[in-house]
Amino acid sequence: MLESFFLQINFDNLLFFIFSSVLILSAIAIITVKNSIYSVLFLVLNFITAAGLLLLLECEFLSLLFIIIYVGAIAVLFLFVVMMLDVKILETSKDLFKYIPIGSIIGGLFLIEMSSIIYSHFKTNSYNSNSGKVFMNDFLNYYDRIDVFSDIEALGQLLYTHYIVQFLVAGFILLLAVIGAVVLTMNNNMQNTKNQMFFKQISRDYKNILLF
Amino acid sequence: MNNLILLKNVVIIPELFLGISIIYLLLFGSIVSTLKNYPLIQNLTVKLSALILFFCTYLIINDNVFLSESNTVFTDTFISDYLSFSSKTLIASFSLICILMIQYYLKDQKINQFEYLVIILIAVLGFFLLCSANDFVTAYLAIELQSLAFYVMAAFKKNSSFSVEAGLKYFVLGSFSSAILLFGTSIVYGLLGSLNFEDFKLLFSMLTPGQNYGINTEFDSNLLQSALVLIIISLFFKLAVAPLHVWSPDVYENSPTSSTIFFAVVSKLSILVLLIRIFQYSFHGFIYTWRYYIVGLAVLSVIIGSFTALEQRKLKSLLAYSSVSHIGYILIAFSAGTFEGVQNLYAYIMIYMLAGLCIWSIFLLLRMKTFYLKKQNKDLTDLTLLVKSNNIIAICFSIVLLSIAGFPPLIGFFTKMGIFLTAIESSMYFVAIVSVLTSVVSTFYYIRIIKIIYFEKVVAGNLFFPFNYTQTFVVISSFFLFIFLFINPTLLYLISYKVALLGF
Repeated sequence: MLESFFLQINFDNLLFFIFSSVLILSAIAIITVKNSIYSVLFLVLNFITAAGLLLLLECEFLSLLFIIIYVGAIAVLFLFVVMMLDVKILETSKDLFKYIPIGSIIGGLFLIEMSSIIYSHFKTNSYNSNSGKVFMNDFLNYYDRIDVFSDIEALGQLLYTHYIVQFLVAGFILLLAVIGAVVLTMNNNMQNTKNQMFFKQISRDYKNILLF
Repeated sequence: MNNLILLKNVVIIPELFLGISIIYLLLFGSIVSTLKNYPLIQNLTVKLSALILFFCTYLIINDNVFLSESNTVFTDTFISDYLSFSSKTLIASFSLICILMIQYYLKDQKINQFEYLVIILIAVLGFFLLCSANDFVTAYLAIELQSLAFYVMAAFKKNSSFSVEAGLKYFVLGSFSSAILLFGTSIVYGLLGSLNFEDFKLLFSMLTPGQNYGINTEFDSNLLQSALVLIIISLFFKLAVAPLHVWSPDVYENSPTSSTIFFAVVSKLSILVLLIRIFQYSFHGFIYTWRYYIVGLAVLSVIIGSFTALEQRKLKSLLAYSSVSHIGYILIAFSAGTFEGVQNLYAYIMIYMLAGLCIWSIFLLLRMKTFYLKKQNKDLTDLTLLVKSNNIIAICFSIVLLSIAGFPPLIGFFTKMGIFLTAIESSMYFVAIVSVLTSVVSTFYYIRIIKIIYFEKVVAGNLFFPFNYTQTFVVISSFFLFIFLFINPTLLYLISYKVALLGF
């Protein structure tokens, strides 16, 4: 079993294993690292490796989406929030040990159930010529070599024709999110709004900034 | 080219109209509200959105496309049959009445932002889309639209920390349940390669789990069943069924009452329509597996809803727990999986919505005159001697409560009896006995409210502001409907019969 496991590692699978191991390690690092800025940076690494995995699976659109939206917008936003909030570094290990037993029992139970049921269903890999291995693939996508029709094109052609209403509804969801965010954060009475005070900002002096 | 938006796809004309009107309302509001002298815009937008919903109802009622031969459009992602038609009509008319009811509450609470009404209309658009959704993607998008609107509505009163807490709680838990729905849907797509309810129906009318089909392989449906369980969990979370109900009393009690009336009255129906489409229509072949989960959860929520409501002192959380037990009754009828089950389910949910509308409007409209008691979250004792201060409203309130409890000369008796008969006919005797007994328990707290209104031995009660014509008309007409429908329940059963014709 193990021999065939190593024999079958071709270049695609090697990249797959590299990306997935980095993904898992960075995911663990997100929740264990104490400094929250490092944690957000690990989150960025996590998204980038996930995007690499998706590229291997020929989901170009999804991987570009990961880079643009998650790395470009959400993670940077997190970084800003973390820097602005001035979170104190707390000793979390005590809390962590309090929740580990119950959390690991429930999570492990769910993981075992789902993985056993999924493995019992997907016993074979249809991309594998000598079937039996779920994780390996040694297929050559001839379709790719004949007709280069990328993921993004296919999605666009589907999205603007067959799923046009769903596309509009997604636009409505975004509109609602904008309206909701503006309404919930906007101050009506205009008393305590956090505006930029140019005079105060310009007249700051390096002598009275740092207070010990 | 018939996949583009053409005029012949009149099926979603009400939705298109509502969406375009929402954008116009938004433009109008943002222009008017930024005028120099900061006008009071709320009254105007309430009337405008009521007008929009009225036109929407008109469009839906005159939209008889479900009679035509092929009733699915946009590559089978939207369906228009009698189920979607009647549910959309109900939702549009009930939301119209709700918007008319909340007008004075908004004035009292000084919620002078036109966005509130825009968000309510977007939620109604989400209900419409959910009622006519025929595949999982559309259903998910509609659920997201509707629940995002609800999160904002729950947190809308920014100066109350209760409301903000309710919104945050609703948001975190609701998005978690949406994620579970997506997970289940992705497993279904991975196994079956389709997201369309019609395809599932065609597949599973031939194929049922656990049988050998002569192709030498037994169809193993374990993973599919677990995906269905995940979908059930997330949809039951939205319906607040018993083990997943914990958010609902908190959110109901802490969010502003004008939002709570929407959560309580309008939101359940569209999720139930989706449940009917998934489980009674496409996955009906799996009934011997899914009915066990659903029966268990239904009985549990009937019991929990009845016994925990005994302890409540606030009217809002009492009504929230009572809605948990009502969803339990509805799910008992749902789990029967028969023609009568769907029929009784639909009749029950219609009467539940009507009763909820009546109770919540009376709750909204009873504005106390005592200035220092200008709170909106009423204790049960605030209703003492309502019979002295406003006799007619006291009668209406107690009649509606008796109807919910299931007393004979009112329509609530018929619908509840229908649920128990369905349970007995599909040989769920134990379920029927338990639900009858807990229904007796739940009668206690309805009658206690009536006792507080009529027979409390105190001298001083509370005085309330008078109602205006529209509000009185709505309350009184729904009160008469309860009695009229008992004498002539044919109207109710005709609609629910036509709905139940769908999948069988």
